[in-house]
Amino acid sequence: MLVIRRRAGEGFLIGPDIEIAVLDVSPTRVKIGILAPGALPIVRKEVLPTRQENLAASRNAPPHTIAWLSRKLSQCGAG
Amino acid sequence: MPRLVSKYFGELDYSTEAAFQFPEGIPAFEDQTAFVFLDQPQTHPLVFMQSLGNPGVCFIAVPVFVADPAYRPDLSPEDLALLGLSPEPLPQIGSDILCLTLVTVSEQADPTVNLASPIVLNLRNRKGVQAIQPSAGYSVRHPLLAREDLVPCS
Repeated sequence: MLVIRRRAGEGFLIGPDIEIAVLDVSPTRVKIGILAPGALPIVRKEVLPTRQENLAASRNAPPHTIAWLSRKLSQCGAG
Repeated sequence: MPRLVSKYFGELDYSTEAAFQFPEGIPAFEDQTAFVFLDQPQTHPLVFMQSLGNPGVCFIAVPVFVADPAYRPDLSPEDLALLGLSPEPLPQIGSDILCLTLVTVSEQADPTVNLASPIVLNLRNRKGVQAIQPSAGYSVRHPLLAREDLVPCS
């Protein structure tokens, strides 16, 4: 991994179109500004597993699976 | 009373107060910003999170306590702000907010829930968010049924 030290107010470039600016630094957080072409998706890294799981969770559930799961959860006193 | 077309239950009446606004959608479904939560007697305790914008988008959810009776949400300041809540006093599940978790079912694997990113609903202003809380130590694929529950419960 390339490591660059930057202060607040400084930045760097990735290729000709992407600019990353360090806007503010606090003891626990960094505020970052990104200038990039609109078509480029930018996501927070911690969102990625949930994004994938949401896509899996949105898939069609067969009626018998729904009925089985509902019955199972009621049986276990969770309802 | 408005009607909606639901993915699993056909056409249903609903009251507009039953709709929750998700200002940012949820990850991978950012354009779906309004959902109703359907709790039908025949599928209780499952809750169906049905998009009002697209009948084909519906998630199966359960209250977090069904999956983990000791569950503690850890809401970020950003998510609290989105919900219009302040961190003090801590919002209480049941009276201020509802906390659900999305279920992933498949033919090949046991059902899992995403406890790392609960669906949090503010009951007062009808706003909702999927709260990403990676540091809370919960899994995005937590088994919904304990091993012993896969055989009849004791």
